[in-house]
Amino acid sequence: MFVIPDRFSYTVAHSVEEAVELLHTLEDSKVLAGGQSLIPFMKLGYASPKSLVDINRIPNLDYLDDSGESLKIGALTRISRLCDSELVAKDYPLIHDAALQIADPLVRNLGTFGGNVCHADMGDDLPAVCLAMNAEMVASGPSGQRVLAAKDFFVDRFTTLLASDELLTEVRIPKNRRGCGGAYLKLERRVGDYAIVGVAAQLEVDGDGVCRSVGIGLTSASTKPIKASEAESWLVGKSLSDEVLDKASTLAMNTSNPLSDIRGPAEYKKAMVKVLTHRALKLAYKRARGGL
Amino acid sequence: MVKVVKTRVEFEGRFRDEYTVVEGEPLEGWSPKSGLKIVGRPHPRVDGAAKVTGSAKYTHDVYLPGMVYGKFLRSPYAHAKITHIDASEAEGLPGVLGVYTYKNAATLGFGGAEKVFKQEVTYQGDVVALVLAQDESVAEDALELIRVEYEPLRPLVDPEEIMGLDSSKDRIVGPKLYERGDLEKGFAEADVIVEESFKTQAALHNCMETHGSVAHWEGDNLVVHTSTQSVFNVRSALSEELGIPQSKIRVVSEFMGGGFGSKFGAGEYTVVAAAAARLLGRPVRIVLDRVEENLATGNRSQTVQWVKIGAKRDGRITAIHLKGLVNVGEDGWVADLGGPAKMMYHCPNVKVELYGVKTNLVSSTAFRAPGYVEGDFALESAVDELARRLNMDPLELRLLNYATRDPVTNSEYSSKALREAYLKGAELIGWRSEPRVVRDGAKIRAKGVAGAIWWGGGGPPAYAEVKVNADGGVTVLTATQDIGTGTRTALAQIAAEELGLPFSSVRVVLGDTITELRSPGSGGSQTLASMGPAVRAAAHDAKNQLLEIASQVYDVAKERLTIREGSIFRSDGSVLCSVGELLGNLGDFSVTGRGAREPNQEGYMVNTFAAQFAEVEVDTETGTLRVLRLVSVHDSGMVVNPLTFTSQVEGGVIMGMGYALWEGRLVDGESGVVINPNLNDYLVARCSDVGEITPTYVEPEDPHTNSLGVKGIGEPPIIGVAPAIANALREAIGVRLRELPFTPERVYSAIKGINPRPTTAKYL
Repeated sequence: MFVIPDRFSYTVAHSVEEAVELLHTLEDSKVLAGGQSLIPFMKLGYASPKSLVDINRIPNLDYLDDSGESLKIGALTRISRLCDSELVAKDYPLIHDAALQIADPLVRNLGTFGGNVCHADMGDDLPAVCLAMNAEMVASGPSGQRVLAAKDFFVDRFTTLLASDELLTEVRIPKNRRGCGGAYLKLERRVGDYAIVGVAAQLEVDGDGVCRSVGIGLTSASTKPIKASEAESWLVGKSLSDEVLDKASTLAMNTSNPLSDIRGPAEYKKAMVKVLTHRALKLAYKRARGGL
Repeated sequence: MVKVVKTRVEFEGRFRDEYTVVEGEPLEGWSPKSGLKIVGRPHPRVDGAAKVTGSAKYTHDVYLPGMVYGKFLRSPYAHAKITHIDASEAEGLPGVLGVYTYKNAATLGFGGAEKVFKQEVTYQGDVVALVLAQDESVAEDALELIRVEYEPLRPLVDPEEIMGLDSSKDRIVGPKLYERGDLEKGFAEADVIVEESFKTQAALHNCMETHGSVAHWEGDNLVVHTSTQSVFNVRSALSEELGIPQSKIRVVSEFMGGGFGSKFGAGEYTVVAAAAARLLGRPVRIVLDRVEENLATGNRSQTVQWVKIGAKRDGRITAIHLKGLVNVGEDGWVADLGGPAKMMYHCPNVKVELYGVKTNLVSSTAFRAPGYVEGDFALESAVDELARRLNMDPLELRLLNYATRDPVTNSEYSSKALREAYLKGAELIGWRSEPRVVRDGAKIRAKGVAGAIWWGGGGPPAYAEVKVNADGGVTVLTATQDIGTGTRTALAQIAAEELGLPFSSVRVVLGDTITELRSPGSGGSQTLASMGPAVRAAAHDAKNQLLEIASQVYDVAKERLTIREGSIFRSDGSVLCSVGELLGNLGDFSVTGRGAREPNQEGYMVNTFAAQFAEVEVDTETGTLRVLRLVSVHDSGMVVNPLTFTSQVEGGVIMGMGYALWEGRLVDGESGVVINPNLNDYLVARCSDVGEITPTYVEPEDPHTNSLGVKGIGEPPIIGVAPAIANALREAIGVRLRELPFTPERVYSAIKGINPRPTTAKYL
């Protein structure tokens, strides 16, 4: 019954340094990027920050750069850019799959990679992608820059390792190599909804189809984005037969600890983690082999 | 010559007598074979550009100078007594112009104030207080400053639970009974009997434009802009509540963002806005937000239904018994679930018993084919099971038991082409030419069918005027509403066709009581069949006057003149003059034609029909269900505009898919609190969820319904969608799902034979 947010101050930052300075000095501040989660939260009264720091006008935070060791994604890169990028579609199918399934086109036009990751909702899709790809998160704060591993980044629901005066500026994804393939599968009640569960899988296989490395990230499978570590360890060094995938899927299911909610009871969601993990690994494998 | 005629008029299956005043002679009926040039052709909406560019003015767009915002504080409890309420802090907030609770509501100055503001709130969303403030955010802040203490009382929200409670007999309404033939004898004659039970959920209308009104006074005249399906209903309610004559009230609904049955009269927001505007001497706007909309404006009733059908071995149905519980909320009405059971099939022995159950939820209200959507799901699912038991094709079973006369009254139908619709639909979906079930790994595709019956014959009173202006332009005046269905466009086509003037020269003015042209509410699929003939009659009158004037001015016998494409022609085909010239030369005279909907013909049952076929794809490992194709074939008489017909069918089918797959109000069984009163959690279909829809029609000639040969199309498209999908799903997975909606988890559980653990969240 309340649609108007509480009072807040609004400040535009024109550089990363200025943003960090503002976050440091302003009371109870939040970063405004695409606003696709923050603004609804404020309208619904779930969040009432006293100040917003708008980073949309910081130049050079919206980029996809694979010229170096990794694919660098600027924090302000809009989801729609990931959907439209040929580079992402060709070399990073996991990211592409996930981007195309985030909410709806209107949200994707405004929503940002950094925002989706920093919001750290268990139902957001890109945290699982970062976990599966062993991404590195680059943050700037008053005492300089630091690089955080994705597996440490997601602390709890809506909580990351970032300090309140730190700004995520870039996400680094290991560069696509021969034998790499990934897939993101999302089960949703209706198009544009949060996932009932989602599974991100990224594989690297050798010429014989043996798994060299693997990452599995799970959406809506716990109170926070999680990694299916046991399944990952079990898969390394194995040929990916249906039995192997089945065992890995069961391990992923056992790792999951979903909540019963409006999207379904926990038992159903667990069963779906298994189904989707199997399918995602299979598709990732197919793509990895296709890339050889 | 004015003539008063008494005639029988139907509205959603309920009949009443109406008097109508008619002038002139009856017109020769139109039919698809009449060689019409404008009616029956696809015309884009006359107001399409205004709508997509945002210039169309809806109630939500009305902002008046000095306007005050009204906001309601609503109960967070489903049932509670207010033990203490203190508004002083809210009243003291700068910008607040008034706070009203049950203690001082009488000072608002309208009749039903004590019914709106109560000390005992009986559903979540019930009105507790009203804030009037100079802007919306002040009003919201003030709501938070009202201190209320509640003594929570035990809410009852589940009809099945209430039926079992001795202490709650006063919550049960009915039974509403219908019986024909001898039910026991019918079942005794049956070789096969199926007994099935079904549950359907409460669905929320979610009109794009939420309920709302903006009221202001001009002296002692009241003007109300409101989003409504009936400007006249709103006017009479305001007259009663405020104690002022109807002639001092003007109700306007020029553009309207959807009603679906939930906007048939004045809401408390309307009456309160008008009363507050009188008190403050300033315009007052009360527009509900989405959560209020979904808590406090009504819904399609939740139902529990038991269906028993008996049939001979050859498939002839001998008996149908339907028993139903209808969750009517606080004080809603018992929608007729029995419609399809009574009317669909030629069956001599039928009994329907309906019980309304009052609960601590908002009162249910009409929602697109109320009762029939719920009842058709149960009946058509059960008929499908019967076909399986008989080892018959479900389509053949339906054709075998086809009713050629109305089984309730034994009257003839004005027209019925459901058989043709079934056959056309079967052809389009490949019912016989393709396999009914196809497996593809974990996925299975399958097809199902359901039939639908509804009303939509319309009738008097419905009046219109058609003015032909001095430049040859035409203004059609009615007070009907265009609730998004395309009424404006269809009426323009009808006027242009009858007058012989170009479609582009016609402007339709509607949605305003100031015309005093009585028009029915836009519901019951009756608008076109009621208003269309009135507009045609008015256009005919105007045309007659034009020809009479031309005859006198040019001294040519009237019988030798016709109007085509804006000009008056002699019988030899030569042009006499243009209509603009004729009237311009008469000192800019404009002609006013008057028309009334002719009385309904006696002895005919006017029904609309649909045959709906679904093809679904089920992922058997996840329970995900997709409707790949839905073929919807309609008998709605002659189609005036194939484009707006298509829009109506697509909209209805999508709404039906939502009902089958996604939509449903979830209520916590303990607290009675609604869990999903917003568009994030209550799932309305989005474009990408919807597969291919094929809207099409069979066009019977219908000389018995009205001078256009038209029947309604607003409601029929939603009715058979859920059972068609249910039957396709049954075909795919071999298990019958008996509870709507078919969520992935429910489908998965059905496939795996898992009994879902009961939860406190229920579809109520």
